[in-house]
Amino acid sequence: MDLRLSLTIALSKITIKGLRLLKRGGTTLPGKIALKLYPGFIKKITQNFKIIMVTGTNGKTTTSRIISQILKENNIEFISNKSGANLVSGIATTFLDAVDIRGNFHCSHALLEIDEAAFKSLSDFVEPDILVVTNFFRDQLDRYGELYSTLNGVKAGIAKHKKTKLVLNADDSLCASIGKETDKEVVYYGVNSDACDSLEDNTNNDASFCLYCRTRYEYKSHIYGHLGEFSCPKCGYGRPASSVNCVKVLELNAEYSNIHFSINKDGNEILNARINLPGLYNVYNALAAAACGSLLNLPYENTIKAMSKFECGFGRMETINVGNKKIRLILVKNPTGFNQVLNYLLTEDNQMQLAFLLNDNLADGTDISWIWDVDFEKLDKIQHNIGNLYTSGIRAEDMALRLKYAGLYTDKISIIKDYKELIENALNNTPEGQNLYILPTYTAMTELRNFLRKKFGLKEFWK
Amino acid sequence: MYELNICHLYPDLLNLYGDRGNIIALKRRSEWRGIKVTVSNITLGDSFIPENYDIIFLGGGQDYEQTIIQDDLLKSKGGEIKNAIMNDKVFLCICGGYQLLGKYYKTWDGNEIEFLGILDLWTIGGRKRMIGNIAFECDFLKSESCDGKVIGFENHSGKTYLGADVKPLGRVLKGYGNNGEDDCEGALYKNVYCSYSHGSLLPKNPAFTDHLLTLALKQKYKDFVSLQPLDDVIESRAHDSMLKRIL
Repeated sequence: MDLRLSLTIALSKITIKGLRLLKRGGTTLPGKIALKLYPGFIKKITQNFKIIMVTGTNGKTTTSRIISQILKENNIEFISNKSGANLVSGIATTFLDAVDIRGNFHCSHALLEIDEAAFKSLSDFVEPDILVVTNFFRDQLDRYGELYSTLNGVKAGIAKHKKTKLVLNADDSLCASIGKETDKEVVYYGVNSDACDSLEDNTNNDASFCLYCRTRYEYKSHIYGHLGEFSCPKCGYGRPASSVNCVKVLELNAEYSNIHFSINKDGNEILNARINLPGLYNVYNALAAAACGSLLNLPYENTIKAMSKFECGFGRMETINVGNKKIRLILVKNPTGFNQVLNYLLTEDNQMQLAFLLNDNLADGTDISWIWDVDFEKLDKIQHNIGNLYTSGIRAEDMALRLKYAGLYTDKISIIKDYKELIENALNNTPEGQNLYILPTYTAMTELRNFLRKKFGLKEFWK
Repeated sequence: MYELNICHLYPDLLNLYGDRGNIIALKRRSEWRGIKVTVSNITLGDSFIPENYDIIFLGGGQDYEQTIIQDDLLKSKGGEIKNAIMNDKVFLCICGGYQLLGKYYKTWDGNEIEFLGILDLWTIGGRKRMIGNIAFECDFLKSESCDGKVIGFENHSGKTYLGADVKPLGRVLKGYGNNGEDDCEGALYKNVYCSYSHGSLLPKNPAFTDHLLTLALKQKYKDFVSLQPLDDVIESRAHDSMLKRIL
């Protein structure tokens, strides 16, 4: 028995218990302590798990949730870092929580959502069996630095691994480049060029130029952002052939999406699935999860079942019923993700109240100028459907300013910093049977959920 | 009716973090006053005729994108940009766009990258990033209704130094500014306004936006006197709340 390991685990477990008694999440601090006490402990306790990791800019949490449902449908027991604590310290806490004092564990699989900037350093401690990479978009510049350094960090992390199999987004020229540069086994997923109509113009493209020869890509089709069927006219780098494909988007509405998709290895049979989260971006998340299921050799029937019933993650379209009014929480983190959420709102036929909560703490990004890259202008099309526009959070004034310059009516905009006042006011103005959409950044989400938990008994987030 | 033509140079390459907020601010504040605005996006390979525009905007980009435009800028558009600047055209240049007008960028390990050399300034790469909210004071903005204080957000590792011909845009009140050493932020030369404050510089500093619009309108229309005031309650709240927080 490794005494140092046992001592580390014991101390951390006490910390986890203590924090939860105090009603604090306790999702990262115990791991931080353990890493101080015994830096090599993760390597030790993870080596017997089959590890699935999910990383990338957007969609990590939702993709993890769908994979988790797939595992459940197949009766595979696993541990996961469910609460969005996805830095090294959070991962450490996840394993600490799951092992007994000797370092033994009760299940075979681990499903980990990993911050794309933390992936490289975590790679020194943990080697995944399967790594799912969702996409690369510009994110918090002050924290992650430039997009290309994030991508290179992920590549450097992968290079440290030997056995890892990769699940990559074929429609993302940045993500797909990982596959081009490795000899590891890769399963690509993507949306066929004729599966749906492109949703937006792409003036603010995160990756318009070839990663290898700096020539402007040609696109046979654009899905959103820089995702689509790209090819470089000069060096020939282009979208790789994918084996998990959305063949047709049949229906996108405010509640769910219906798609036809195929998994090549199961023949070219067209499968029908309902994804119980709206938005085209969630189609990608579902495909990534399906590709992971296919690498695990799990029957596709269970994958389809999982797509239609997975639980939404922390603030990803979480719904709280207040009488017959609904509060719906949608986390927003960066321009592409935010634009996708706005596209979703455009599909809402009913009247709605909208609240935008903008914080500038470290986890949100201290630089909030990215809100100027979000196309709030498109809300103009549904102004008649918007009752009130609320802004809150530390940078509520900047958010209100952005909405004003998007051409939205200033008499609809209210700045309310106090969450209690905000929720009461917004709910009062929400007619029976209608929705209050709240779009917060990360720490605003955490704060708001704490408030809502007390007021409406929302599930505690570490459960 | 007055009209303004705004040129956004390399919008698909130099578009780091909200730079287009500046274009949005120029456009909206004109439109709210009944001034018609046309924005032209001019990028790699496009011909660039400065006489067609009243305000020219050059933003910042990621290193990768800046290397892509290097050739186009030095070999093709650079000459026109220089002529336009000498002819008093109104320019707003942010971060990377600001550095590009200078003589060179020397990386911290000694590589020197040649820039346009239109403005007497140069940039030395630093190892430490200068990141955070910034406040600076601009004399040219001071009036009865404006104290000249500008707020923004900076994120750069290059340290820029100004030669004798170029004045700083403002004096740093909080933050790093050009180099974190001499309290200077940005550069002002003829009608070229340069700043490290990226993203939403203009929306939160409506006096700055109006200053640029006024300059451009006065150049274009002999009968133009001044802009009519707007309701800037939300602008002031965004400006003042940050100023209060960091000063």
